[in-house]
Amino acid sequence: MAEVSLKGIKKIYDNKVTAVHDVNLEIKDKEFIVLVGPSGCGKSTTLRMVAGLEEISGGELYIGGKLMNGIAPKDRDIAMVFQNYALYPHMSVYDNMAFALTMQKVPKEQIDKKVREVAEILDIAQYLERKPKALSGGQRQRVAIGRAMVRDPKVFLMDEPLSNLDAKLRNQMRAEIIKLRSRINTTFMYVTHDQTEAMTLADRIVIMKDGFVNQIGTPQELFNKPVNLFVAGFIGMPVMNFFEGCRLLLDGDKYYAEIRGVRFELDAFQQKTLKSNGQKPCDIVCGIRPQHITVGEGDLTATVEVNELMGSEYNIHARSGDDEVVMVIPTVGLATDVSMGSRINFTAHSDLIQLFDKESGNNLIWYDAGSAANNAPVCKDYPF
Amino acid sequence: MDDKKQQKSISYAKWGYIFILPFFICFFIFSFIPLLDTIRYSFYEYYRSGLKEVGPNFVGLGNYIALLKSDLLKYAGNTFILWMIGFVPQIVIALILAAWFTDARLKIHGEQFFKVVIYLPNLIMASAFAMLFFTMFSNAGPVNSILQSLGWIKAPIDFMGSVGGTRSLVGLMNFLMWFGNTSIMLMAAIMGISPELFEAASLDGCNHTQIFFKITLPLIRPILSYTLITSLIGGLQMFDVPQILTNGQGSPDRTSYTLIMFLNSHLKASNYGMAGALSVYLFIVSGILCFIVYRMMNDDGEKKPKRNKKEAVK
Amino acid sequence: MNNKKPSNARSIIAHVTLIILSFMCLFFFYILLINSTRSHAELQKGFSALPSSHFMENFRAVANDGTFPMLRGIVNSLIVSGCCAAICTYFSALTAYGLYAYRFKLKNAAFTFIMMILVMPTQVTAMGFLRLITKMGMYDTLWPLIIPSIASPAVFYFMYSYLQSSLPLALVEAARIDGSGEFHTFNRIVLPIMKPAIAVQAIFTFVGSWNNYFVPALVLQSKDKMTVPILIATLRGADYMNFDMGKIYMMITVAIVPIIVVYLFLSKFIIAGVTLGGVKE
Repeated sequence: MAEVSLKGIKKIYDNKVTAVHDVNLEIKDKEFIVLVGPSGCGKSTTLRMVAGLEEISGGELYIGGKLMNGIAPKDRDIAMVFQNYALYPHMSVYDNMAFALTMQKVPKEQIDKKVREVAEILDIAQYLERKPKALSGGQRQRVAIGRAMVRDPKVFLMDEPLSNLDAKLRNQMRAEIIKLRSRINTTFMYVTHDQTEAMTLADRIVIMKDGFVNQIGTPQELFNKPVNLFVAGFIGMPVMNFFEGCRLLLDGDKYYAEIRGVRFELDAFQQKTLKSNGQKPCDIVCGIRPQHITVGEGDLTATVEVNELMGSEYNIHARSGDDEVVMVIPTVGLATDVSMGSRINFTAHSDLIQLFDKESGNNLIWYDAGSAANNAPVCKDYPF
Repeated sequence: MDDKKQQKSISYAKWGYIFILPFFICFFIFSFIPLLDTIRYSFYEYYRSGLKEVGPNFVGLGNYIALLKSDLLKYAGNTFILWMIGFVPQIVIALILAAWFTDARLKIHGEQFFKVVIYLPNLIMASAFAMLFFTMFSNAGPVNSILQSLGWIKAPIDFMGSVGGTRSLVGLMNFLMWFGNTSIMLMAAIMGISPELFEAASLDGCNHTQIFFKITLPLIRPILSYTLITSLIGGLQMFDVPQILTNGQGSPDRTSYTLIMFLNSHLKASNYGMAGALSVYLFIVSGILCFIVYRMMNDDGEKKPKRNKKEAVK
Repeated sequence: MNNKKPSNARSIIAHVTLIILSFMCLFFFYILLINSTRSHAELQKGFSALPSSHFMENFRAVANDGTFPMLRGIVNSLIVSGCCAAICTYFSALTAYGLYAYRFKLKNAAFTFIMMILVMPTQVTAMGFLRLITKMGMYDTLWPLIIPSIASPAVFYFMYSYLQSSLPLALVEAARIDGSGEFHTFNRIVLPIMKPAIAVQAIFTFVGSWNNYFVPALVLQSKDKMTVPILIATLRGADYMNFDMGKIYMMITVAIVPIIVVYLFLSKFIIAGVTLGGVKE
């Protein structure tokens, strides 16, 4: 029930190490925002600054329109779910959930009503008298969420809440969080390093690296319009194929991408954008998602090294010159021989080829220098 | 760190200071000021003789030199000998017991019972224990009476009258009080070693003795040296047992008179100057030992058992 | 498997050694208990392994003795040891928590300092301590035996190790978000979690203080303030040959046995505590 606004938020440790650079983020009321990135990228620190667990070294934080910089966590009207649940081991589940309300001196009957109501929703009503130790990982996770829910917070913060669960339980809990969200309908900030969680849960994703925000956008935007090599490589499974040693050519008034000597004429939108940017020919890295590759046509060639049948599709690992190319090919209607060792040719639609400047790593089409969300420095290295 | 726009701060640093404040205030008042005071008066002639108070007159290093000229070194020697008599059997027995208790193939029956029993003397009031030994080993005491009734000796042995007897009794008490504690510590250290190492060694053809000397001993060396140093610091402070056993006399002929007994007599006599100088000597020696301990605890960050308070305090 | 015999021999040696050592540990206490049941006349006749019937008589003699107020001494000892155990563990836990949970400028300096004084003998400051408490008017009171235990580096270190292994900082943060103040968090969240460590250290501090002789010997003067070890020492200093021996054994029994009884009840816990937190991976 509140919008959160981060204006130039910074975290500097001991006046030396900058952990978070100048984060600008406007979170709308009831939006589900996921902060994602590799470990050490500053996503947790950002969340903890919103929570008030870390001091904000610079910039301003507003929750529901109020400046929150110097406000203690308890007065920010937030709730947080921690990675290791952080349940008080010596208290029963009931007392854990009631603790925050007890602190606020809410009347006993009201606490009782609220705790039982939330326990009912989360299906933990039968464990209320137990100690956290006697619960399974998934149940503890529910209690941790329940503890946050009883407070009806304006903002719900979650710091890698699922990373301690095994794969199966994680999928289950992820689905539950989606269900939960439709029920409690508040603003969420969720930190994870797992792109699947980010893609499935988020309204918008904030992708961070080395303390910088690289891109903010919907899952679709991040998938289809990555602003740089890092975002392109971080989002998507299997990882996008990157072709080194490519060139952007300008022949007459038409732009071409040249991959291994094969020319691809770019489509109308790409032409228009490049033209309006006044883009000069240059060395580029081309990125093609495995799902966007078509086999059996085109002039690019490769040798199949590994062929994994995944049911309705093949995951093919093929060698093309120095690069390993991964392709996801539907099994239905496949006319080409993709058995191991066979030679195949492949191509991709030019509008699905991402063009990255070799120097800066920025996407020639989608990078927007003016956007506050794209303030990351030159990012040449791959995310893996 | 501080942004000027922020009026309030949510930094929790001040709580850190608040929480550790009582400790430091208390240390400052009851340890640090007394320490400075002690050091200061070590340079003064300052004592009470009868009702008359002499000093304080500044005498520089006078007290220190006077101490060296007195029997200080003899008492230091006594302290060291008394410590050795207790420590050597203590560490040997503790090592053997620890090896036995941790040997899975050597099934010790009633392990818990033995642990309880050997640790028991550690909790006994040293002064009462010494008093008990005094009565039991006195000429008319039960030990002599038992030995006589067994016919092993004709006349009672005057334990407290001989140098060897008194020192052995002190050593025996120290041994009894500390070998259980050391055994349990070493046991924990040995149990911290991966069992696979022992299995690998026995597959490589080591017998029990070889495993003990080639595997166990080198791996618990850090805790062994720690035991040595903390026991040495404890030995330096030896007081209760010889004080009560010999009624503060260190008899016979001051051969069981320890450094702290010496300090105690100066304090009782209100000879502040001499007591101060003696304290400074003790401070320097224990400072060196502390430094060694500190280095050992910080040097190797590898998995190394650390001892709890008991040994350090006693 | 193939060397069953040597293994058996080893086992026998081990058990025999252990039995001898246990005998040595228990023998003196056995004599003590036996002798405390015997009258002076019986004791003069020589040693007997069987208990006699004068236990209560000896006990009454001890309880009613005005020169050696043993029961008063026990009460004093209980007060001092109980207070020491309580404030020492509380403040050590507080200090350890302060250094563990907060980031502040002098944190490392403070920690290093405490580690430096960890094994400093109390005796080296005794002279200044004596003068100080005299000036403060605390000479011949129980206060100087209690208050200084607030600063116990060794207990601090134990608590610190324990916190490291069992208090995730997220718990403290969760409490902060839940609206708990810092002191409230310490008392309501941290202390309950530290219960095992506090219990162990409370026992050790209690026993250490109960047995402490050096400092009380310097500080206490009047009979009604004396703690048990001082009374024992006075007993040793008196012309002891003229005493009722049964009473003497009873006095020692009274000084030692309460601790032994408590120990036997808590032995498992105490022995585990010797190494708990002391040995860490």
